[in-house]
Amino acid sequence: MSVWSGRLDLSQFAERPRDLLALVLALAVAGYIAWAISQSPQQALQFTFNGLSVGAIYALLAIGFTLVYSTVWFFDLYYGAAAAIGAYGIFYLRSGEALGGLYQVNDPAVNVVFALVTAGVAWWAIREFYGRRLRERFGPGSALGVETLIAGGLGAYMGVVLAWPNDLNVLFAPAIGLAAAVLFTWMLRRTVARLVPRPTQSGVPVAAAIIGAALGVVCGVALAHAGGSRLYLSWVVSCLLAGMVGLAFYRGLYVQIIRRTNSRLIMLVASLGVLLALTALTIIVFESAPRPLPDVFGSTPWQVGGATIKGFNVFAIGVSIAAFIGLLLLLKKTAFGKSVRAIGDDEEVARVVGINTTLVIAIVFFIGAVFAALAGVLNGHDTAIQPRMGLIMLLKGWIASVVGGIGNLYGAIVGGFALGLIEQFGIWNLAGEWKDVVSFVVLILFLSFWPNGLLPRR
Amino acid sequence: MSHLAQAIRELGDSGPLRRMPRANLERIATVLVLGWAVGFMLWQGAGFTITLTTIFAIWAILAVSLNLVVGFTGLLSVGHIGFFGIGAYTMAILASDASYDRLRTESIPTPDWPFFAALPVCIAIAGLVALGVGVVFNRFRDDIFVLVSFGFAIIAFSFFLNLRELTRGAFGIHEIPRPAFGSWVLDGEIEFLIFALICLALVVLICWLIVTSSFGRVLTAIREDEEAIAVFGYRVTHFKLAVWVLSAMMAGLAGALLASWTSFIDPNSFILLESMLLIAIVILGGLATIWGSLLGAMAFVLLEEGMRFLPFLPPEFVGQARQVVLGVLLVLLMLFRPQGLVGRYKL
Repeated sequence: MSVWSGRLDLSQFAERPRDLLALVLALAVAGYIAWAISQSPQQALQFTFNGLSVGAIYALLAIGFTLVYSTVWFFDLYYGAAAAIGAYGIFYLRSGEALGGLYQVNDPAVNVVFALVTAGVAWWAIREFYGRRLRERFGPGSALGVETLIAGGLGAYMGVVLAWPNDLNVLFAPAIGLAAAVLFTWMLRRTVARLVPRPTQSGVPVAAAIIGAALGVVCGVALAHAGGSRLYLSWVVSCLLAGMVGLAFYRGLYVQIIRRTNSRLIMLVASLGVLLALTALTIIVFESAPRPLPDVFGSTPWQVGGATIKGFNVFAIGVSIAAFIGLLLLLKKTAFGKSVRAIGDDEEVARVVGINTTLVIAIVFFIGAVFAALAGVLNGHDTAIQPRMGLIMLLKGWIASVVGGIGNLYGAIVGGFALGLIEQFGIWNLAGEWKDVVSFVVLILFLSFWPNGLLPRR
Repeated sequence: MSHLAQAIRELGDSGPLRRMPRANLERIATVLVLGWAVGFMLWQGAGFTITLTTIFAIWAILAVSLNLVVGFTGLLSVGHIGFFGIGAYTMAILASDASYDRLRTESIPTPDWPFFAALPVCIAIAGLVALGVGVVFNRFRDDIFVLVSFGFAIIAFSFFLNLRELTRGAFGIHEIPRPAFGSWVLDGEIEFLIFALICLALVVLICWLIVTSSFGRVLTAIREDEEAIAVFGYRVTHFKLAVWVLSAMMAGLAGALLASWTSFIDPNSFILLESMLLIAIVILGGLATIWGSLLGAMAFVLLEEGMRFLPFLPPEFVGQARQVVLGVLLVLLMLFRPQGLVGRYKL
């Protein structure tokens, strides 16, 4: 305070030497950046672009990580495997196209496992959301039959999609067409109901259904003929799979462990086991050598002020900001978000006031894993993918969330971009291999001097 | 369906595994692992047994020393492999007598020291690095400690890989000599095995002395409640630092043994995943028990080498299959017996 009142009072630093050290460090960093810019503004701009591109991925990781961590308050290392699953999902689905199908992989065992995961998660979701209604209508026995039938069908559909990824758009055309038909029908009926205060003709729903169905068919056919959409459908499938695996691990495994213990370290070790096993399985299926992902839009670099940046990187920055805003809206504006925050504050109390905590946390795990998978996909398209990327991405997300302020969503996005920039400027005079060292040194400095991060949680 | 779930739940909550007294399980585990080892040895013959036992000795030194930190003091460190690597690289750089001019590759200084001159330096350097790292890490706890210890492992690996003027990076260092007493070089596998087992025995003895002394009891108290023991006037940070440095020195010894035994090292032996396997061994065997770590290390070595003989497993996936098994075991242990097989302490 005394600094701002015009009189520099050094005695306050003598009381808290750590603050002085932090100030010195901050000044040193600022001086270093100023020196770097004066050395070569063009290179500084290039490093800023690189830092923002990498930072977008770190921010995405940190956002998902923070969401999960600030809900359950233990570190879930599966998160890293989710990033690897996301990236390798794309490779699995599109391996026929990358490098002329040189490394094509299609393993029936993988298809069956993911089909089973899909069926399990679908079964769980139907029971959670529609179980009571189904039981009331059909009775418990038939309801179970109906649930199993639908879940099995969805699982089989996923299995078929994974088995013939080269026709992904054709396989998806009926599903997307159906969804579009339902959506259009619903919109038409709502529009008509709003325009005509009291619909006198009972033919309106029928007409809406017919038009909706026709539009759905058009959508489906258009998709079936658009071969370029396969890659982006793979993104959806891949992120969905990673999310469902995350949900399955929470609901099937973590819940069982949490029921018996309240130790954060036990959860951490259990998820370490999960990460170890999944990383090894990834290597067994895909081999340990790095692999490229197929070409994506925006791969040609743009020239901006003497520096270059790829359109895809700009897209990645946009995705991370959009994801942040979307998540913020979800948490602040919806009932679901309210219950997430309530569970983060106190899970016991949340359960007492009638929140279905298991359901909410399972969805949080799903969202978190989808974010990780998205980060893995974006990173994979930017560079290459390798099975051990999961661990390193997990650690980067973890560091970014510590730098930003652990448990704070705003801190996560700031920390992600900050970490990306620090990493890039840190290797100004070093070779690129040292960037992991830079980020961990930054982590240790932050933990030592600002344990609460840039934006501490309230 | 629900009956099955109920049965699983009961097995976990109050089931036989959770309730089983430590002593019984220790007896069962000992008999099982030793029986497995003996059976394996009889099947494979002496030559392979010697190799296997040497690997076991090195891993056992690592596991026992890590258990000092993780089990007895309660600091879940994932960075132990870094000290292992520092020991190995110090030995390699000091003792290697490779002539890189002949190999026509990047050359590094080769002081060409004898093994026993380099060994104390290895241990000392590992200890010094641990001292520096420990001073910084001492303030962290629980999951943040895990994160920074991850960081240490990655930083150490980065140095092994990228400090090419000293470590030759990915090329690795060749021709690291075996220990020699005067003109008697321990070239034979069996002589080296005996030497490694003597080192292991020394490490176990030191650990046993530590944990049974009043020093060890303070460590246990720190693990249970740091604030409480601080109230009694113990300098908690000093105790933690001391055990951290001791454990790192033992890891340095293991590294020196590895370098000398294989006579070639490269950074791939010291990746983070190896460190995670190490922590899996320690937790698997049981926290806060020396015998458990020995059993864990033995089971781990048998697991890997035993898998080489599975007909349906291609040889290049043995390491991965071992990792899958360890990961699954880790999850099952956390589910059914969080203190590890014969452990005395739950995380």
